[in-house]
Amino acid sequence: MIPFPHLNLGRPLSRRALLRGAGAALALPLLDAMVPVCLRAAPSTFTPLAKSGGAHPRAVFCYVPNGVNILDWVPAAAGREYALSPTLEVLKGHRERFTVLSGLGHPHAKGGHSGADTWLTGADLGAVPGKEYTNTISADQVLAESVGRHTRLPSLELSDQSGTGTAGHSHTLAFDRNGTPLPAEDSPRRVFERLFVPEDATSRAAILRRYAEKRSILDEVLGEAKALHGRLGNADQAKLDEYLSSVRETERRVRRLEEWVDIPKPVVDGSRLQLDMQPGNAHDRPMWIDVMLELTYLALVTDTTRVVTFEWSREAGGYGGGGENHHELSHHGGDKAMLTKLSGIDRFHLGRLERFLSFLQSTDEAGRPMLDQTVVVFGSGMNSGEGGDHSPRNLPLLVAGGAGLGFRHGQHLAHDPKNHPPLANVLLSVVRRAGGEVPGFSDATGEIGGGV
Amino acid sequence: MGAGFHSCGVIGNRLNGWWLVLGILFLGTGCRITAASVPPHPHPFLVEHCVGCHGPEKQKGDFRIDTQLSLAFTNRLTAERWKEVLNVINGHEMPPPKEPQPSPAAAAAFVEWLTQELTQAEIDRRATEVTQRRLNRDEYNRTLRALLRIPFDAGQLLPADPPSGGFDNNGAGLTLSPLHLELYYSAARMALDRAMVSGAAPERIRWRFDPEEGSAGMDRYRVARGDQKQILLNGGRNRFTNGFTVLTIAGWDRNVDFRNFKVPVEGEYVIRMRAAGVVPDRAAFIESVRPFLEKERDEEIARNPKGRRGREEYFTNLLEHLRTEAMYDFGPPRVKVTQHLGGQPRVLREMDVEAPLDAPREIEFTARFTTKSAGLTFEYAYSIPKVLENHAWQGKDGVRRPELWIDWIEIEGPIEEGWPPPSHRAVISAAAEAIPGERDRAAVVLRDFMPRAWRRPVTDDEVASKLALYDRLRPAAVDFQDALKGALTAVLTSPHFLYLVEPSAAATRLDAWALASRLSYFLWSAPPDEGLVAAARSGALASDAVLSEQVDRLLADPRSEAFVRNFAGQWLGLRQVGANPPAPDLYPHYDRHLELSMVAESEAFFAEVLRGDLDVRSFLRSDFVVINERLGRFYGIPGVRGDRFRRVALAAGQRRGGLATQGSVLTITSNGTRTSPVKRGVWVLKTLLGQDPGLPVANVGEIAPKVPGIDKATVRQRLQIHRELPACARCHDRIDPLGFALENFDASGAWRDREGHGYKGRIERNDPVIDASAKLPDGTEVRGIEGLQEALVAREELFLRALSERLYTYALGRELGLSDAPRMRDAVATLQRDGRTLRRLIHHIVLSDAFRQP
Repeated sequence: MIPFPHLNLGRPLSRRALLRGAGAALALPLLDAMVPVCLRAAPSTFTPLAKSGGAHPRAVFCYVPNGVNILDWVPAAAGREYALSPTLEVLKGHRERFTVLSGLGHPHAKGGHSGADTWLTGADLGAVPGKEYTNTISADQVLAESVGRHTRLPSLELSDQSGTGTAGHSHTLAFDRNGTPLPAEDSPRRVFERLFVPEDATSRAAILRRYAEKRSILDEVLGEAKALHGRLGNADQAKLDEYLSSVRETERRVRRLEEWVDIPKPVVDGSRLQLDMQPGNAHDRPMWIDVMLELTYLALVTDTTRVVTFEWSREAGGYGGGGENHHELSHHGGDKAMLTKLSGIDRFHLGRLERFLSFLQSTDEAGRPMLDQTVVVFGSGMNSGEGGDHSPRNLPLLVAGGAGLGFRHGQHLAHDPKNHPPLANVLLSVVRRAGGEVPGFSDATGEIGGGV
Repeated sequence: MGAGFHSCGVIGNRLNGWWLVLGILFLGTGCRITAASVPPHPHPFLVEHCVGCHGPEKQKGDFRIDTQLSLAFTNRLTAERWKEVLNVINGHEMPPPKEPQPSPAAAAAFVEWLTQELTQAEIDRRATEVTQRRLNRDEYNRTLRALLRIPFDAGQLLPADPPSGGFDNNGAGLTLSPLHLELYYSAARMALDRAMVSGAAPERIRWRFDPEEGSAGMDRYRVARGDQKQILLNGGRNRFTNGFTVLTIAGWDRNVDFRNFKVPVEGEYVIRMRAAGVVPDRAAFIESVRPFLEKERDEEIARNPKGRRGREEYFTNLLEHLRTEAMYDFGPPRVKVTQHLGGQPRVLREMDVEAPLDAPREIEFTARFTTKSAGLTFEYAYSIPKVLENHAWQGKDGVRRPELWIDWIEIEGPIEEGWPPPSHRAVISAAAEAIPGERDRAAVVLRDFMPRAWRRPVTDDEVASKLALYDRLRPAAVDFQDALKGALTAVLTSPHFLYLVEPSAAATRLDAWALASRLSYFLWSAPPDEGLVAAARSGALASDAVLSEQVDRLLADPRSEAFVRNFAGQWLGLRQVGANPPAPDLYPHYDRHLELSMVAESEAFFAEVLRGDLDVRSFLRSDFVVINERLGRFYGIPGVRGDRFRRVALAAGQRRGGLATQGSVLTITSNGTRTSPVKRGVWVLKTLLGQDPGLPVANVGEIAPKVPGIDKATVRQRLQIHRELPACARCHDRIDPLGFALENFDASGAWRDREGHGYKGRIERNDPVIDASAKLPDGTEVRGIEGLQEALVAREELFLRALSERLYTYALGRELGLSDAPRMRDAVATLQRDGRTLRRLIHHIVLSDAFRQP
């Protein structure tokens, strides 16, 4: 017997029909829009679809490391009449679709290059006596707990280096309810396979049999790990806890796959997406960011997931559009030439963001732009300040899109860096408006405020 | 100091830098302060000298002693902060010079107290340290390969493991997530599917292609092989001579390929190519380009007769350049073979073709094919930088370049060593296969397989549990093997397989099985073989003599290649080679072949020191190098032919030898466009002297691109400005001189006498001569690489200690602490007494209590 506890009887059918429809619409534009394969590393000419598969609230969290040149970033004036700063000028086509938030930060953040660890959690990493590092659940995962059951993937984690990274130098923005990092993926090809390549099994029965077998096997190793647990010292027990919770989570995922067995993955022709771009290659880097954002877009437009985190570069790493060493430049010490270069990297990043926002804006969703249902948070967990100090205060932060979810944009909402509400307030608003039914989040004291 | 406290790594480890100094001075000098004498917090010393700026009134650098520090030394974060305090006081960074300074005695007393506390806390905490660790990606691959005897690479599947403490085999750094588990599950299943077979042996195909047949143009010619009737065969736009296809230049329409075919069964196939290479000598090359240059000269003169003189001069100069420029010494042609499978390209091989034209050679290697639509491309991969090709002959045929002659290409397979193949027998023995009852057969297979997979004897209960799983799976399974694979997948997804389990915190000694695994993963990155298992089973492994024998046996085995690659690769930073490569317009001679050769050189050099039992001071200075032909050309060492690495004695004036002169090290310590004496200094300091200068403090900035008043400022002069700031000089006076001594090597690792300021970095007449003189922190004056090497050798004790520390860290899979300092002293003493070889050090580590304890 295969249970479908979360799905009412009407949904799978209508969903399937919907996705098939979307699939047909998807295949064609992708085919003729792509550049020839031989022009490897040429800029992508991906074009978005005319229509999305259906209107759903979604959230995307984009992180850039090493802070920005805050001097060129923060607009001089606050309020609705503000003039875009030199850096934010890149986004002028979207001026009324985003809000600039300045002066915010996580009160507990430690500074330095640990910003990605806490950007979406707001945690105090040293909060638990006797433990060297503890994190808490991230905003995207809180949201996924509410809306994740509607999609094949509850959430999607992307970054420029696969895995979780190390404590204090996280390669992922997502942390589960236990504060365990969720590994992110850096390969466009593997992301594509996970999202759009069908399971290669012969029949429905064969697939279900595989799942059942997998659950039996997971049960078996779970029992084994529990038995082992009692024979270990404290630290080793903590190590094995990672294993135990991973087995349990994998079991949950298998059950989920069983629920989705009758719903095919959307059909997307990826043969001409630039899936071989490598994040570690400075030359590939701009195209790699683009293809990851194209995949993010495709994941959303096909309703494969509604929650995406994307760490564009890990802290103390990263490149500019011309291969500049982002980290080195963040130690600018107030040097004018370096600050200029840093602003160049910021504009390069915002150019990629602008392109992504334009995809969402140009895609129709029940008569409105898809961007209206999609809130995009963009920022960094570090501020390299006026003098190159790696501070966790006065972080660069933008919230774009989501007009249909209640966001009112077009202003610079300035806070006093010395006396400001916690950044978690913004995250709480994003989570709630994107469909997360939560009483609160992290150290949030309320919602975003300021008429946003 | 302020800023130093929020330098880059919040949780970074700065241990290495100071234990050297402190460890020697203070460890073991006195008894621990007893509970009765616990000083108040903050310690009076801190109250007197520090709290004024880092306390209730001021919090310079966001650092406050009374609230951010406590006496809970066993807390890691607290301990890390205390170590910073120790660091700055010991380094005379704090209190700042303008403040009243503590007396040396008071500072020493405080430092001693703090060191004792931290050391004891570390020992206390060791009992609760992680002792079991997950196999990292490379170990996992090698383990499956050894266990199932299949060429298996889960590298594409599993995420990379983060290095911690410098190595990616560090237990604390190796976390596990649901994604890992998911991937381990699929990898295990996939590996078992590949290892186990059923039915009759698949039929073998052997298809040969003659590229010259496909000369009709791109994708115009189709051939049939087996049931594949529409295979596209392209010989490329090349010359065809005597049945050979001759490739002399790279280009999309010059590749040889055959594609649009499917092999009948998934498996390993041999790709074979009969080929030869022709290397033109310089005279032949010049003669081949002369007509192009003459034609150009004559045309230009006809167009502008007044410019005759200049043109003729240009022509003569160019010919002279062709006669003398080192880059026109060509090497053998190179081929790159790419497999396309279901539209996905994968480079299978890149290699030199060294066979002469009168004796072409068959070159073969294997690759895995699935039954998806496939293709193979053969590309001309000898890199001829654009600058070498004058526009008069650029891209033209008729110019003599290294020539790749391809006769034919074959694909043959699937290759199986017998049927059923050894991989199948690695799971189901012939005896087991003969057992009639399925369940009995499953029991025998499990009983045989599980101890090998788990690297220890298994209990009856453990086998029974897996057999019960088999029973649960059997009813729904397709057949016996399908259900068995399920049970085996559980064995390979179990914590007993994925972790090096060294259970029970109370035990003071590893049991024989855990010790056998620790040894084999140390030297092979792979599980124990039968010899080691036998020694563990008999209990002989407990004896020093047997353990030593095993060390020598493992080192002599080819599998110890893993040690060279994983240890040397991470110790020396070889994995960073190519991450920020020399800029192609400034360093046109730097190509992929050179890059691969640089990494291979350092590995081969390490292997030479290891296997030849050479003095480890060879790492600092050697009278030989281990190179191939490509590096011979790059370093200007003549007479090296072929891509094989071999030991070559250095002649006088060749200026190489030792790690610091190797291209790999010199490029990873450069910035792509210029050298970085800072990075080089840090590399020497950390790798060869074992001192971690820490991360740069904030607010310092890049070095200035220009220096006022100096027209052509060298990197050295630009740094000099930087170092005039006291905040910088404190560390950089220790770092930079070591790098200055290497300034004769440019950012690509090539030798230079001047720093080029001309177009694209070319050296012009008045460009500054390199100043490679340097003054070490202790006042020693050195000049250039020879001077540096001499200074390093004179400080051999530091190097021996640094090497011991890195090797210990790798062997134990954990970071070292203060309490390990006596072990390092022992190791150094042993090397100095019994011979300074890697073998000696490895023996010392393996026989140490640290290695034999959990």
